[in-house]
Amino acid sequence: MASVTSTQTSAGHPSTGGGQRRSRRSWGSTVAGVIVLCVMLFPLYWMLNTALQPESGLLKVDPVPGSLDLSGFSKAITDQGGHLLTSLVVSLGAVVICLAIAAPAAYGLARFGLRGSKTIVFGTLITQMVPGIVIANALYNSYVDLGLVNSYFGLMLADASLGIPFSIVLMRSFMVSIPGEVIEAAQMDGAGPVRTFVAVVLPMSRNSLITSGLFAFLFSWSDFMFALTLNTTDEVKPVTLGIYQYIGAHVGDWGSVMAASVLSAIPAAILLVLAQKYIAAGITGGSVK
Amino acid sequence: MTAHPPAAARRGRSRRAVVPLAAVGVLLAGTALTGCGQQRDPDVYTVMNSSTDESYHRWDAEAMARCSKRLGVTVEQQSVPAAQVMTKALRMASSKSLPDIIQFDASEMPTFADAGGLVDLRSLGLSTDDVPKGIVNFGSYKGTYYGASRSVNTLALFYNKDILDEAGVKVPTTWDELRDAAKRLTQGKRYGIALSAGGAEDGVFQFAPFMWSNGGDETKLDSPEVAQALDYWKGLLKDGSLSKSTLNWTQADVNDQFMAGNAAMMINGPWQVETLNTDKSLHWEIARIPVPKAGEDSVGPLGGSVLTVPNTDDEQRERTAGKIVACLSSQKEQLTYALNSWMVPANAKAAAVWREKVPELDALADQVAAARSRTAKLGAGWSSVSLALQSAFQSALTGQSSEAALKLAQQRATSGNRG
Amino acid sequence: MTTSTVTAPASAGKPAAPDPARLRRRRGIAQWGFVAPAVVFMLLFFGYPLVRNVVMSFQHYTPKTFFTGEAPFNGGDNWADVFQDALFGKALWHTLVFTAGSLLGQFCIGLALAVFFNRRFPLNGVLRSLILLPWLVPMVVSGIVWRRILDQDTGVLNSFLDTIGLGGHTPWLTSPGMALFSVVLVNIWIGIPFNMVILYGGLQEIPRELYEAASLDGASAWRTFRSITLPMLKPVVTVVLVLGFMSTVKILDLILALTDGGPADSTQTLGTLTYQNSFVQLDFGAGAVVGNVLILISAVFAVFYLRANRTEGK
Repeated sequence: MASVTSTQTSAGHPSTGGGQRRSRRSWGSTVAGVIVLCVMLFPLYWMLNTALQPESGLLKVDPVPGSLDLSGFSKAITDQGGHLLTSLVVSLGAVVICLAIAAPAAYGLARFGLRGSKTIVFGTLITQMVPGIVIANALYNSYVDLGLVNSYFGLMLADASLGIPFSIVLMRSFMVSIPGEVIEAAQMDGAGPVRTFVAVVLPMSRNSLITSGLFAFLFSWSDFMFALTLNTTDEVKPVTLGIYQYIGAHVGDWGSVMAASVLSAIPAAILLVLAQKYIAAGITGGSVK
Repeated sequence: MTAHPPAAARRGRSRRAVVPLAAVGVLLAGTALTGCGQQRDPDVYTVMNSSTDESYHRWDAEAMARCSKRLGVTVEQQSVPAAQVMTKALRMASSKSLPDIIQFDASEMPTFADAGGLVDLRSLGLSTDDVPKGIVNFGSYKGTYYGASRSVNTLALFYNKDILDEAGVKVPTTWDELRDAAKRLTQGKRYGIALSAGGAEDGVFQFAPFMWSNGGDETKLDSPEVAQALDYWKGLLKDGSLSKSTLNWTQADVNDQFMAGNAAMMINGPWQVETLNTDKSLHWEIARIPVPKAGEDSVGPLGGSVLTVPNTDDEQRERTAGKIVACLSSQKEQLTYALNSWMVPANAKAAAVWREKVPELDALADQVAAARSRTAKLGAGWSSVSLALQSAFQSALTGQSSEAALKLAQQRATSGNRG
Repeated sequence: MTTSTVTAPASAGKPAAPDPARLRRRRGIAQWGFVAPAVVFMLLFFGYPLVRNVVMSFQHYTPKTFFTGEAPFNGGDNWADVFQDALFGKALWHTLVFTAGSLLGQFCIGLALAVFFNRRFPLNGVLRSLILLPWLVPMVVSGIVWRRILDQDTGVLNSFLDTIGLGGHTPWLTSPGMALFSVVLVNIWIGIPFNMVILYGGLQEIPRELYEAASLDGASAWRTFRSITLPMLKPVVTVVLVLGFMSTVKILDLILALTDGGPADSTQTLGTLTYQNSFVQLDFGAGAVVGNVLILISAVFAVFYLRANRTEGK
């Protein structure tokens, strides 16, 4: 490919000419990317569009909002603002619990060659097979006994369970690729396993940690089953449950429902944009010695 | 034992390994203790209902505030989505944390009563003197009165007056007229009629008036009367007067369609009136659901919820809960609630006053008087029949013959009675 | 300083000579300390529900049980009931079609996008971040939005098809023949970002030098893809497919939001069936049976996967 461009641009300034070609070609990729993006994001656009036309009743929604009617949003914020905050607190808590439990385990499974490691890895696979509804149903009674029903911590723990197996698998596969010499060097310096883990392994796995954390956050953010099952009052009501109740039998107010849906995507979107840098820049980090 | 000294040493060291475990344990225990700290306040009574909708929640809150004042206690409500009331209640029963009062959909009450979960309201001193017999039965299971209704509802034919006038169509009263009117009212993007044939209780509720008015019965789904009713629905679909989306619509979706002018008529219930009235430019009226032949009775399904007192083994509280139920379902409260929610008061005296106050819903009051409860014949067995019926009409509306679909449904319904 | 003070009494109390066997054992125990919390957590949050579900599938578990706590064992009655139900066979078939269709679509499109974004072009990072957005939307919400989009009469998809002259009366969710396809379509949309992120991560790990070498050898793009990208990506591919399979096979909330299993049970899967048995029909024993079947299917899949992995490792 490179040779073709250079021969064609042999007249004039070859270097800059080639650069322009290449950049034109890559701008072509950008255009293609934008088209793909438009298709992928259309449903979300439609969600936003509907949210901005609260008076239309959704059945005759215009392709583009004629005027900026934010009443759907203001209603959604009054009704769901608190639930959004709950979602945020619960999801962040779930991420902390998830990483605190999964990261050491991933390291242990990747590095120590413990007898039974294989069984445990297989176990993490099995966890993925159990339908959420089965888990939620069984947990309820234990939660009642432990006083965890209707508590933030209870929901955080349950939501953490959504991310833990996945995080173990993900981080383990990254930690396997950490060069053995690095860890041995730390041990030579007299660091125990805990210090090696905290001072050497964790910083090196920063990107996989962030990726796992992001996944754990998303799993928890979109959880609906646990919130529905493990709460009997409205004290701890995340936004998924709020929206579900919004579309209760009597509401025809789709503008507000969609506005709430849009709002429910925003905090997660912000987090994604922030974490994206690490995921993109970093996944290669593991292999850079 | 002395031959194995390492055992002791191993135990000593394993204690160290347990440290991270213990940390998790302490965390768990800490929250467990704080969780246990909550105690039931002796003067606070909880009602679990499905009033998640803002206006219903508000009306209930107001009624509860008034009863709180009258009885000198605090009544709080806890609203969960309608579909979750039963499962939530069952879970709370297993954890011995039932609320003091549960508002069940009347079709679900028998299941909970059958499990032994409800207290006889008469034993708590509730009177049924002014309640019509049909409505007492509505709240009863195997002869025991478990549920007090505040209001009842049923389905009716809602029509868009402007569209009917414009097309010169008069309000249909028989099946033939309805089919003809629906065909004539179908125009462009607008369908003649909208109804819910969704695969959930909504759809069965809507099929019931057609099945019953034609002499069909839920105990014999494979009878020709039921098949005719289903064929009638198929006819509406075939004419193009009913959208195929009917299969995916809930009753709330049907109302959306009607409000957007996508349907000239709809089968729906009075709980939609609150929403319908938000659009001032919409001129709607209601009529009884058309019957197979002129002069026959229009039998609709009796809908609505009942207030029940679950079995908590705390007689003192149950007695007070009974008083709260009595207050919430008193004649005065019923009228207020009915006027707010556009449903018909259960109490005969209240209903008479209500008729005068909302003459535009008179047709509904007639329909309610003749309406029939879904669980009267089957009790707790209704849910499996309902599931079989949903599946049957959905199959029939998408191509299968009504007879074959209903035959299968009858088999499923009878074999499905494991409970 | 601190280290010396701590170690001094310890070495005084015990013989200083390190016993290699003891050291190894001590290390082993410390090492288990890393893994143990996760194991305990998983036993509590997955093991216990799993065992309970298996037990429940052999019990006569009804609404009464919630009050009395009594659930008599009834042998294989629940299993026999479920297997005799015509709906079970249907649901099993739908589950397989749904899972296979979703995985195929998600993976192929996800991989294509990952390869696409693995090249350098302006705004790559921004576009790549934005494309993950569908994934951030809770499934309950996606279900609601798509249900409106796919509505036969008023949905924007049909009105779009109408505008460009491609019919526009497709009964996406309302015909038994189409509904499963539409549900798969929506699930593909949801799954693309997940597949793309992981596969993209895998692609980034393939050393650039390999590609440079290939281009020096004059290998075509397709050959490079087949002989470098795919083999190097294989471990990541298996992770994506295995995790994808397990989460897809048991999906519930999306289908409930889109079709509720209808029309005419045409989108009833094992996931929705276990829900319906347990929470609509309140026949918890039958619900548990279907749940167990789901777990079994995944387990069989996992065994195949592990076996394939092992033979390859040796």
